[in-house]
Amino acid sequence: MSINILGFEIEIYYLVILLPLIGGLFGYLVNRLRTEFNFLGFVLTLFFAIKLFIISRGEVISQITATIFGFESKIYIDSLAGFILLFNAIFAFLVWVYSLKAMSRKPRERAYYLYMALILTAANGVVLSGNLIFLLIFWNVLVFSLYGILLVGKKDSSFAARKAVTIIGVSDFAMMLGIVILLVKTGTASFPFDPKILPNNPWLMFSYILIFIGAIAKAGAMPLHTWIPESAKVVPASTMAFIPASLDKLLGIYLLIRVSYFIFDISGSMPLRILLMTIGAITIIAAVMMAMVQKEAMRLLSFHAVSQVGYMVLGIGTGIPIAIAGGLFHMINHAIYKSCLFLSAGSVEHRTKTTQLDDLGGLGTKMPVTMFSFIVAAFAISGVPPFNGFYSKWMVYQGVVELSRETNLWPIFLIAAMFGSVLTLASFLKMIHSLFLGQRPKALNKVREARFEMVVPSLILALACIVFGVFAKAIPLKHFIIPALPFKIGEIGFWTPGLATILIIAGVIIGLIIFLLGTATKPRRSKVFVGGELLEEESARMTGPNFYSSVNTLGMLKKTYDFGEGGAFDFYNYLLGITRGLAVVFRDVINSLIVAAYKYIGRLTTGLSRLTSALHTGELYNYVGWIFLGGIILMLCLVL
Amino acid sequence: MIGPDFFLDRFGVFLSALFIFIGLMSFIYALVTIKQKGHRLEYYLMFLLIVGSGVGVALSYNLLLIFIFWEISTFAIWRTVGFYRKEKDIYAANITFFINFAAAAVMLIGLVILYLDNGTFNFFEIKIYNDLASVLILIGILAKSVTIPLHVWLVPAYKSVPSAIGGCLAGIAENIGVILFLRLFTMGNYFAPEFFNVIAWLAIATSIIAGGAALLSNDLRELLAFSTISQVGFILLGFAVGGKYGMMGGVLYILAHALAKSGLFYGVGLIEDVTGKSDLNAIRGMLKVSPVLGVSMALLAGSIVGFFPMIGFFAKLGVVVGAVEKSGYFGIGAIIAAVFTIVYVVRFYNKLFFGESTGKIKGISYTGLTVVFVFALVSLLLGIFIYLPVNYLTGNGGF
Repeated sequence: MSINILGFEIEIYYLVILLPLIGGLFGYLVNRLRTEFNFLGFVLTLFFAIKLFIISRGEVISQITATIFGFESKIYIDSLAGFILLFNAIFAFLVWVYSLKAMSRKPRERAYYLYMALILTAANGVVLSGNLIFLLIFWNVLVFSLYGILLVGKKDSSFAARKAVTIIGVSDFAMMLGIVILLVKTGTASFPFDPKILPNNPWLMFSYILIFIGAIAKAGAMPLHTWIPESAKVVPASTMAFIPASLDKLLGIYLLIRVSYFIFDISGSMPLRILLMTIGAITIIAAVMMAMVQKEAMRLLSFHAVSQVGYMVLGIGTGIPIAIAGGLFHMINHAIYKSCLFLSAGSVEHRTKTTQLDDLGGLGTKMPVTMFSFIVAAFAISGVPPFNGFYSKWMVYQGVVELSRETNLWPIFLIAAMFGSVLTLASFLKMIHSLFLGQRPKALNKVREARFEMVVPSLILALACIVFGVFAKAIPLKHFIIPALPFKIGEIGFWTPGLATILIIAGVIIGLIIFLLGTATKPRRSKVFVGGELLEEESARMTGPNFYSSVNTLGMLKKTYDFGEGGAFDFYNYLLGITRGLAVVFRDVINSLIVAAYKYIGRLTTGLSRLTSALHTGELYNYVGWIFLGGIILMLCLVL
Repeated sequence: MIGPDFFLDRFGVFLSALFIFIGLMSFIYALVTIKQKGHRLEYYLMFLLIVGSGVGVALSYNLLLIFIFWEISTFAIWRTVGFYRKEKDIYAANITFFINFAAAAVMLIGLVILYLDNGTFNFFEIKIYNDLASVLILIGILAKSVTIPLHVWLVPAYKSVPSAIGGCLAGIAENIGVILFLRLFTMGNYFAPEFFNVIAWLAIATSIIAGGAALLSNDLRELLAFSTISQVGFILLGFAVGGKYGMMGGVLYILAHALAKSGLFYGVGLIEDVTGKSDLNAIRGMLKVSPVLGVSMALLAGSIVGFFPMIGFFAKLGVVVGAVEKSGYFGIGAIIAAVFTIVYVVRFYNKLFFGESTGKIKGISYTGLTVVFVFALVSLLLGIFIYLPVNYLTGNGGF
């Protein structure tokens, strides 16, 4: 479908790639009109993304636009692509609105908006590509822009950017090899793959694993996640909400689903499914354990951003349609609540200038709207019904239980998933307490609610958490998830969110009544004295991080935590270690040996020439002697 | 036997245009950086000889003529490496000359054997390949295209050479070896799978080993030298695996590497000029000093690594496709080399451009900056409009 602009017919799928880029570039060049240009770019992209989403519900757009040297550039939009495209645009728009106030007058603000636009362009490009080679091209643009946007930091963020670009770059090369192997062995890299490729040959399996590495590195599953907590400390909250929380998850899981069920079909290959589920389960548990003991808000949230990927990978790995749908649903839920959490925490940071949980507290009365959004999103991520996170987790659990027909390992995955959910709730109770409840430090008495532009995006996202949870079947599953997947999804358990919500609300009301009855008699308040001195409230303050400070001092766990904080589980350190170790061998052994060999050849030549030059003494007697000797030898030769 | 034996095919014209472009940029850069009184004219003579011999090799079909250009190039490199006349420069010049000359002498024997077998030096008419001759010629090629174990001359040479000629060294002189390889072996009638496989493995090993050495070097020029060795390994890999994609990838790689490495060399030259240091650990925060240089060198470094908006991406992709078509193991080797590349390039760039800058640094030459920027811009535009070079090369009479 095309649209007429100033007499040119332009297909609208080009527009969703070009518009953010144009808006971003012009905004960068004409600084005075930056907001207007960016607004046009993001809003029009959103508009056309909605249009494409509606079209993609009915028909699949598949069009070859050019062919260069045997590679065809192809646009392919099915309902999965349309769905991801729509949410790319929505999240970009919301984060942009939030950034208007959050990023204003921050250093390198101009570059930040340019990179945001570039990332949206590349993300849309990835989703629209109908050919894996072209997908790889846009994937590469993402690396470049990620490096750029991470460099726009609160403080010096070059180390985090270096880490990110190294990890993502290495996984990109793995993906490049995977795609090339697929292209060479099967002769095509264009959608739709019909029939789907079965990873039964070692090379094809290898190719699948390589592309899988690229996908989970983008989504941020273990062990390729370490740049996310690293950057959480140094980049603004909006960057975290934009990339690791929403767009990277959308793209990574999009590619994972594409490669697992649209290109390859892994539902017949048990080893690959076990691999995926194991990675998912480990990611859930390990990351949430790390999150429990964090003392810094952004870093804590970033570990949850890793942990939740585990559910998606686990769900997709089961190979059971309902769990795959659950994984996809969890992806979109995660993007919603995690960007809401980052944005709300960012609002708190904007007002209080700190993210250390020890220094915060009691902000609930000062920032009620932010607290509301944060608590809703925190319950959603912890899987508390009736919010959206519960529903998608439920679908994943159901899939894992159904797995019992195929493997005996299912209880491990189920326990990992449920235990992870419990720990998530535990760490969010701590965080809610340290931010909004408890006693307020005196320094924060003048804090006000965040600005309108910052509150609205997080509020919208919080409401989306509720809507996607309560009306899960009617809205997200019906319109986004089920049409996007190539399976028939069976009945989803006996969980009916509508009834449950009513019951929960009733429960809450009854609880409230009991609470009010209980507090009818007011507690006695009196001053506390220690050694004759009035005890200041400030020094009796109980901060959130102390809740679980005993966790990381427990015998066994302590060692593990020390390792974890020391970077023992950091893929980046291993990568650098291995490459450096090999490099030492290369330089000091191989290269030095070769250089030494040249030195010896040089010495040998010099030695030989010394010998010959020693024969030339310049004295007549010597030469006469040589002539005489030579004559005798000649004579002997002639005689004999 | 020797006449005006030149011909114009798309490949030769393409490379000649590239060489002349790099020559032009080097010339502009040299105008502001080469200020020696005594033998400045010698510099320009030798510089023109390097550019001219590169074009000569790209456009000639007579092996003897190629050999003559080859030796002219060796001679000119020898003079320019020793340009500053210090003791270490003369040592570097000598080692460069000895290795290149000795290998070229061995190559001449191989060429003569080919002549005796075929009765001609015209490489289109050479049908009978002698294995011995091929190996002898290969030694000359490996020395020129700095492949292990004949790579030792490049590090001292890079350390001594005036930065203005460094770009020509990386962009022109080291490519003539792989050009001869492409003309004589990949496009020729030589069928010996073992020969090509051994060279492919040698190229991969070179790439990985030199990548490792680059990761450890703390001297800017040494790092660039090892990086060049590593990247030329990729070019050789592309030509050794052959096929449509391998050859196209190799030629694009010559283009990408010539532009990017020349640009990086000039950028490093500018940094050395303004800071007076060449130790990677002693220079910090160059991004604040010159954002233009920072952005240009980021693009050039991205081209070396092979990230998309840059031409380097397509070059690497082509080589990897060619390699996997031959054997998946070549592909794995190439990707390992690429991993080394990304690790050392990111380290190099981050150390140089971020952190607190030490003291006030001023006076970056605008002309030099423009040259680096033009290299970055051309790499970027060719990467976006990739169909221009590809369509030219695949056009009538091309690949």
